[in-house]
Amino acid sequence: MGESQVLGCAVDVVLSEPRSMMASQNNRPAIPDCELVERMAGRDERALGELYDRHGAPVYSLALAIVGERADAEEVVADSFGQAWRTAEQFDPVRGSVMAWLATIARTRALDLVRARGRRARALTRAALGNSEGFAAPIASAGEAPDRGVERQEERRLVVRSLAELSEPQRRVIELAYFGGLTQTEIAAELQEPLGTVKTRMRAGLEKLRGSLVPPLSRGES
Amino acid sequence: MTDHQWLELAAPYALGALDPQERIRFDAHLAQCATCRAEVQAFREVGGLLAYSAPAAAPPHGLRDRILSAARQVRPMAARRGPVLPWLAAAASIVLALLVGNAYRQERVAREQASRALVAAQDSVAGRDSLIATLLAPDAGTAALAATGQPPAARLFWIPSRHRVVMAVYRLPPAAAGRIYQLWAIAKGKPVSLGIFNTAPDGSLRAVMNAPRDLAFQVAAVTEEPAGGSPQPTQRPFLIGKLAGGD
Repeated sequence: MGESQVLGCAVDVVLSEPRSMMASQNNRPAIPDCELVERMAGRDERALGELYDRHGAPVYSLALAIVGERADAEEVVADSFGQAWRTAEQFDPVRGSVMAWLATIARTRALDLVRARGRRARALTRAALGNSEGFAAPIASAGEAPDRGVERQEERRLVVRSLAELSEPQRRVIELAYFGGLTQTEIAAELQEPLGTVKTRMRAGLEKLRGSLVPPLSRGES
Repeated sequence: MTDHQWLELAAPYALGALDPQERIRFDAHLAQCATCRAEVQAFREVGGLLAYSAPAAAPPHGLRDRILSAARQVRPMAARRGPVLPWLAAAASIVLALLVGNAYRQERVAREQASRALVAAQDSVAGRDSLIATLLAPDAGTAALAATGQPPAARLFWIPSRHRVVMAVYRLPPAAAGRIYQLWAIAKGKPVSLGIFNTAPDGSLRAVMNAPRDLAFQVAAVTEEPAGGSPQPTQRPFLIGKLAGGD
């Protein structure tokens, strides 16, 4: 965290209370995620183990959704937690939750791996097959998610529900961007739709998601 | 492009879906548009949550052990602190030379602003007392950090006797993903890092940074750097201010 004290968990108490930290961590009696990351920066391996126990499953699910092969997903998750371990010091709770940080690392690595292999992301294959179910459907029927923590499951349910409220074309362009790593122009080519249509759908879909996701998950802040 | 058209790029930008050329142009726009940066930050939070929509899958059993045993062989980046501190210490020999001007008035205004900021913040009593004591130190100097021709976005309080810098940021949208803000003391034209920081989603921050002993500087500046900060600025400062008082 360099020399600035404000970036650590502890200093938040002294000077400011980052909003994003609170969103995923209320009601959790255990050590907050961001403190685990702080301990990781101090080379506490148990903290890394605990972080994996909390977020390993969703990170693995994300990686698998992008790369499609279990062995590749395992590789991505191992590398991602390795990166989190090495760069724990740089984690900044003000910028977002620990899970969002891990997801960003894993998504980038998964997309890199897919591109390095000259393959298409799994999300693209789905879209090409015209799978109208999107990602929300399988998870909704998957029942109990394999990760721990009630509020995380609630987050998951909320995301799934919010995605289900989008129109199918809106959901598809967002999934192609997030899970497929495609730009708007690439999505337009993929779907054989006008670029303007893709842009409009993506923006409208994200606006709607923002409306349904951000306020409920931030409610615990005050 | 109109402001409205720029704003429309915030959502796809946050998702990494802009085409390269468009992204580069929007990057440049973001450097000077607070509204768009706030918008990007909001959409980035939405993007982070999308990870949860992946179909749930259970990771293989050996993965946890694999991660932990790999970690045992790698030192985390905390070890990086080593070279940074001597580098900061190198700045310690630089002599204090201050621009005085209307120091008194600026200081008074700045302190009033800080008091308001303090009242608004839900700080612990101890933290507040300590901060007030720091701000009211007799040797405190202040600098208003602003972009050219703009009202100040941040206020710096420099307390040489405590080797402390207190920073109050008012209107600075959080840095983009993978980026961070870095505060520099410019001593005799040479930048000395005072630390990295980021703002809350509402663009505000109150931070205390420890400065190297005997540091003296006349100008403070803020750049945007890759996450983790840089040993030297990699960009032109977008906020800059002259110090008044501080002796």
